[in-house]
Amino acid sequence: MKQFAEQFKAIVGDKNVITSKAEMAPYGIDRTTLWQPNPSLVVRPDSIEQVQQIVLLANQHNIPLVPSGGRTGLSGGAVAKDGEVVVTLERMKRILHYSAPDQTVTCEAGVITQHLQQFAEQQGLFYPVDFASSGSSHIGGNVATNAGGIRVLRYGGTREQVLGLKVVTGNGDILDLNRGLVKNNCGPDLRHLFIGSEGILGFICEVTVRLQPPPPPQSVMVVSARAITDLLEVFQCSRKTVTLSAFEFIAQQAMDAVTAHTGQHSPFKNTSTTPAPCYGLLEFDTPNKANTITDFFAQCQQQGWIDDAVISQSERQSKELWQLRENVSESLSPHKPLKHDVAVRMEKLPEFIARMEVKLAEEFPQLQSVWFGHLGDGNIHLNVLKPEGWSEQRFGELATEVSGLVYRLVWEMGGSISAEHGVGLLKQRILGRQVAGTEVKHWLAARNSFDAHSVMNRGKVI
Amino acid sequence: MKILVAVKRVVDYNVKVRAKADGSAVDLANVKMAINPFCEIAVEEAVRLKEKGIASEVVVVSLGPQAAQEQIRTALALGADRGILVQAEGDLEPLAIAKCLKKICDDEQPGMVLLGKQAIDGDNNQTGQMLAALTGFAQATFASVITVEEGSAKVTREIDGGLQTLSIKLPAIVTADLRLNEPRYASLPNIMKAKKKQLDTVTPADLGVDPAARTKLLKVEPPAERKAGIKVADVAQLVDKLKNEAKVI
Repeated sequence: MKQFAEQFKAIVGDKNVITSKAEMAPYGIDRTTLWQPNPSLVVRPDSIEQVQQIVLLANQHNIPLVPSGGRTGLSGGAVAKDGEVVVTLERMKRILHYSAPDQTVTCEAGVITQHLQQFAEQQGLFYPVDFASSGSSHIGGNVATNAGGIRVLRYGGTREQVLGLKVVTGNGDILDLNRGLVKNNCGPDLRHLFIGSEGILGFICEVTVRLQPPPPPQSVMVVSARAITDLLEVFQCSRKTVTLSAFEFIAQQAMDAVTAHTGQHSPFKNTSTTPAPCYGLLEFDTPNKANTITDFFAQCQQQGWIDDAVISQSERQSKELWQLRENVSESLSPHKPLKHDVAVRMEKLPEFIARMEVKLAEEFPQLQSVWFGHLGDGNIHLNVLKPEGWSEQRFGELATEVSGLVYRLVWEMGGSISAEHGVGLLKQRILGRQVAGTEVKHWLAARNSFDAHSVMNRGKVI
Repeated sequence: MKILVAVKRVVDYNVKVRAKADGSAVDLANVKMAINPFCEIAVEEAVRLKEKGIASEVVVVSLGPQAAQEQIRTALALGADRGILVQAEGDLEPLAIAKCLKKICDDEQPGMVLLGKQAIDGDNNQTGQMLAALTGFAQATFASVITVEEGSAKVTREIDGGLQTLSIKLPAIVTADLRLNEPRYASLPNIMKAKKKQLDTVTPADLGVDPAARTKLLKVEPPAERKAGIKVADVAQLVDKLKNEAKVI
């Protein structure tokens, strides 16, 4: 592929084609660590027209391309391990248009999510999609992976924010999809095909998103309960009483890991003597009447759904309570966990967790599993920990079997094997096996239509 | 020993404060309010002294609008026993607050008055000191450790470049610094209990205090925005700019 460097330079300029191995390496990986970066070239276009020329050149010479945003993905969707040409949109980071009457902003794909949030704030508005890596991730990547995060319960994921996309398809067509309109019923909406497509259909180059009025001040409550079924009752009850922004779930082992790892105290240190099997974290609009909360709590306690609860009295306490949830992943990382990002419908969640625990205990009694996640979205992170004293290799040998067990049950119960992290390289095989037949056939047909020569993100997703 | 704690309702520490467009005041519309962080620490200390059996009753006082009841209820949920709201609209100056507290001290006869060292809105750092002068009580400001003994207290103060430990006679005024303790969370059972605790409302007039301001607020404006930095092409340009534009070399 290196022989095409001059032709790419003719499109984007000498300075914007990177050829040195060391400089290219970071462009070849995302937040996964399973693959070695090995891009042939890194190309940095500055406009949608340049992207189009790159794609046309790739089609002419059968050059595989990997689209690249902030590379904060967790499934290898942006990994270039087989000598592909990485096309990074990092120079395309302009905010193009803000429309006050529409409350929308149109920007290039390389705008960092946090900059979009800040821009919205400057207009007195709010861009609700937020997650741990929003300081590095690009809006284009958010769209390509339909990024979710901590406020999906209230505002939906990235999909719900997108009103328009300008894309370059794998064939080199420039499409202006939905053109920022709220109402537009003219044929199938191809915009939604590109959202979450993980770069296999084309390049997302421009994005129009809707902005929201800023939410009122928020309160955070952590409740302790005896069973996840009780937490689900609390969820249903709280939904009727307060305006929820988030409802998260932390199992006791996860809470123990956080308090041990970070030194942060359990919020129930002063009130409860025995630890609870599970905890829920609720974020909601601070009600105008304090009674709303206490009435809600009284009802929960009467029903025996919760043992105890604390509520933040200041933003500082809100942040501290959120840290209990946000630090779970980091606190478990010394145990080299095998992670699963799965979803089932809320009504099946208790049954799913119960059956999963039984199955894991039967087949892998030596392994410990830890549950946490976005309960309000039906999205659970199941982490299976490496037993103390096991080598990573010994644990790794079990990985396929354990994950197979998990994914089979998820699929059987009508769930998703990748709720928010996408498919990328990580789950490509498993997806093919699980979504057997008809659906895959249509995906392949769609890809073939947009990207006949399969130059886009080859070997990913399907 | 009874402990009196004063708490102030302020804009939450983590909220980015904005000035009103006409520069007349800070914009409080749709802004999260909370107990002043130093006052929250004072409440926590009083509650801990009660839990240790040193304090017999913790009375919490706030001066401000009717909504300041929320902050009193929070303090009651953290473990205070009883609340008093001195209801007054508008900005209250430290002297007016100290005079009201003095009258309450006369009525309640506390063994110790705990306050935050300052409120994060006015940043005055005056109320505790003024109250000590008005009551004639001993005072220890910027406390990071409080140990109560028979008729006296040992208070470690955070001072420039180190710590100072005082022994003061009770009754005394003690103002809390950041490191005194880490306040607990309000648990919902305690919030429920707090709803039933006694909360009396009085006015400055009831206490014989004229709360009229002695200073006039002329203008509120945000700090000047920092200019964005620039990138220089090479060392020569950097030196040139430092010499001729910034004039620092």
